Amino acid sequence: MKGDWEKVWEEARERPVALVDCRQEIPCNPCEEACRKGAIRVGEDLCSAPVYDPGRCDGCGRCVALCPGMAIFLLDRRGGDGQAEVTVPWEMCGEIVEGERIWAVDGKGKVLTEGKVVKIKWMGGRWPTRLVTIRIPEERALKVRGVRFRENSVGSSEEVDQEYDLPEDYPVCRCEDVSREEVLKFLKMGLRSLTALRRSSRVGLGYCQGIYCQEQLRKELGMVTRRSEEETGMFKVRPPVRPVKLGRLGGVNG
Amino acid sequence: MAEIMSSEVVVIGGGVIGAATAYYLCREGAEVMIVEADDLASGASGACDGFLSLQTKALGAHLRLAMESAKLFPSLVEDLEVDIEYRPCGGLILATSQEQMKELRARAKALSAEGLEVEVLSASELKKILPEVGKEVKGGSYCPLDAQVNPISLTLGLAHKAQEMGATILRGCRVENIVVTNNRVREIHTSAGSIHSRRVVCAAGIGSNQIGKMIIVDVPVLPQRGQILVTEPQEPVLPHIVAGAEYLGTKGNLQALLPAEEEAMKLGLGFTAEQTKSGNFLLGSTREFVGFDSQTTPEAMNAIARNALRFLPWIKDLDVIRSFAGLRPCSPDGLPILGTVKGVKGFYLATGHSGDGICLAPITGKVLSELVLDGETSLDISPFSLYRFK
Repeated sequence: MKGDWEKVWEEARERPVALVDCRQEIPCNPCEEACRKGAIRVGEDLCSAPVYDPGRCDGCGRCVALCPGMAIFLLDRRGGDGQAEVTVPWEMCGEIVEGERIWAVDGKGKVLTEGKVVKIKWMGGRWPTRLVTIRIPEERALKVRGVRFRENSVGSSEEVDQEYDLPEDYPVCRCEDVSREEVLKFLKMGLRSLTALRRSSRVGLGYCQGIYCQEQLRKELGMVTRRSEEETGMFKVRPPVRPVKLGRLGGVNG
Repeated sequence: MAEIMSSEVVVIGGGVIGAATAYYLCREGAEVMIVEADDLASGASGACDGFLSLQTKALGAHLRLAMESAKLFPSLVEDLEVDIEYRPCGGLILATSQEQMKELRARAKALSAEGLEVEVLSASELKKILPEVGKEVKGGSYCPLDAQVNPISLTLGLAHKAQEMGATILRGCRVENIVVTNNRVREIHTSAGSIHSRRVVCAAGIGSNQIGKMIIVDVPVLPQRGQILVTEPQEPVLPHIVAGAEYLGTKGNLQALLPAEEEAMKLGLGFTAEQTKSGNFLLGSTREFVGFDSQTTPEAMNAIARNALRFLPWIKDLDVIRSFAGLRPCSPDGLPILGTVKGVKGFYLATGHSGDGICLAPITGKVLSELVLDGETSLDISPFSLYRFK
C-alpha cells in the first residue's frame, strides 16, 4: 500500500487524488461501485482489500462519501506552497463551518496539526455524507484520517443542541422512510412523547423497531418540546426483540 | 395559581370516540375542549386493528348503529386532511367445520333480514376471492360493505380537523374531579387547571369507570386486552379483511362458535387478519380480562401465530416484527354505552364500545353531538342506555 501512497503523493500535485487506507478485509465494495473511472477494484471476492490505481482517479470524491468505513480521503497539493488540502468524510452532527480552525487527527484520534476548513460539501446521493476539506502543512497530509473541533470537546447540552444540524430531507427512520422534515412537522403539532410521534409519523414502526432511530428521535423531540428525556420516554419494547418467522412463532416450522 | 378556562363542551378522552365527538360538535359550531390524560390515540384507539366489520355486529340495534356508521366513512375521507387509509374492501368470515358453516348460514340469513348484504360462500366459491386458504377451511361468509381503515390516522385526522375548526386539545391533562351543583355539571378540575363547562362528554374508554365515580355513577366498563401481531410489510396480497368463525364466537359470546381448545378459550382467541396500506399484516387477536396490564404475552403470540396459519398457511415465511396489545373498554354486553345519566344534567356517556370503537366512532360522534346540542338524536340510542344493565 505504501507504494500507492507515493504515487498518490505525486499525482496530487496535478489534481485531487483519492487516498485509500482500507486495512480490513471485510465483505464490502461500495468504493468499487462509487468509482466511475474504474480506479478501485474489489473484484469477485467481496472480502478482498480494494486494489487502487491512483493514475485513473479524477478526484471526484464519491468514494470518500460512500465508503462506510470512512477509510478513503482526498489529497490535493496543487497549491505547491507547502500546504495541502485534505478531504475527509464527516458523519458527526455538530455544525462545522467554512473558515473554521480545526484539529486534523490521525487514525488513532491523535491531533496532528491545526488546519482550516476550506470547503464543506454534501455528497453521496440518498444518504449523503459531508466532505470536509481542510488546509494543513503538507508534510502531515498523508496521515490525516479525520477532524475534531478545537474547543470544548465536550460541550454543554445546549451548545450541542445548537450545533446540531442535519439536512431536512435526512431519513431519520430508514425502515419506514420518514425524513427529518416530516418528523419536525409532526412535532410541531404538539406531540409530547416518543410513542405519540411513532403513532403519528410511523417512525420506529419498521423492521428495526426503532433500534437505529430512537436516539436521534429523542434528540429531535427534546429540542422541539424542550422536555427532558424522562418525560419524552422511550419506545415501548414489545416482543419479538428480533423479527421471527410467523411459522416459527406458531410452531409450524420447528 | 392555576389558570381558569371555559368551554361550551368538554370532551374527556382523546381516543377515536372523543375525537369523533369533538369533530361532529365542531361541525355544528360548538366550542369544544378535548381533555386527554396522555396523548391522542394513546389508549385502545392506537392499539387495535382497522376492521370496519359489519357482519360481526350483534343483530338489532348494534348492527343498525354500525351500518349508519359505515355510511359516514366516505364523507370523512373527503373532509379530513389526513389519509385515513379507508378501503371498502369487503370482509370474510371463514368456517373450519360444517357446524360453523351452518351457523354462518343462519347468521347471513338473519343479517340479510336486517338489511345487510351477506353472501355465504362454499369452499370452491371462496377460492375465487381468496385463492389460498388452509385445508381446514370449509367456506365462509362475505360482506361487501365491510371495510378497513387506519385507526390511528382516523383518530388523529378527526382530532386535528376538530382543532382546525376551533377545538382546543389539552394533552397530558388529567381530569381530577367534576363539580356538580343543582344537578348540573358546572366545572371540571384538571391537572392543568379548572374548566368551566356545563356539558361534559365522557369518552374516556377504560378510564370511564373512574370518571363516573366523580359524579357517583357506576359506568360498568372493564379493560379487555386484545393482542395483535405485526408482520413485515408485503406487496398487497390480502384483498379483504378476514376473520375466523371463532372470532365471532368469542366476540359475541355465541356458544356454537366458541373455540374448542381450552387454551384458545382462555385467551378468547379468534383469528383476524388484515393487510394495512403500508403492507404489514395485522394478525389477531385475543380477548382477555387481566386488569390494566397491556403487555403482550408469549403464550398469546404463539397461539395467534398458530391460529393464523390454520387459515392462511402461506404467510408462514413472513417475519413478525412486533406485537402490541390494547385495552378495549368492555361493557357487560359488549355494546356501547351512550346517552345521558340520571340526576346529572350535562353529563353524557360515549364509552364501552368494546372492540367496536373504530367502526362505531363516526356515528357515535354524530349522535352525541346531536344529543349534547339538541337534546335529541336522529337515531334511537335508547338500546345503549346505561340503565339497560339495571
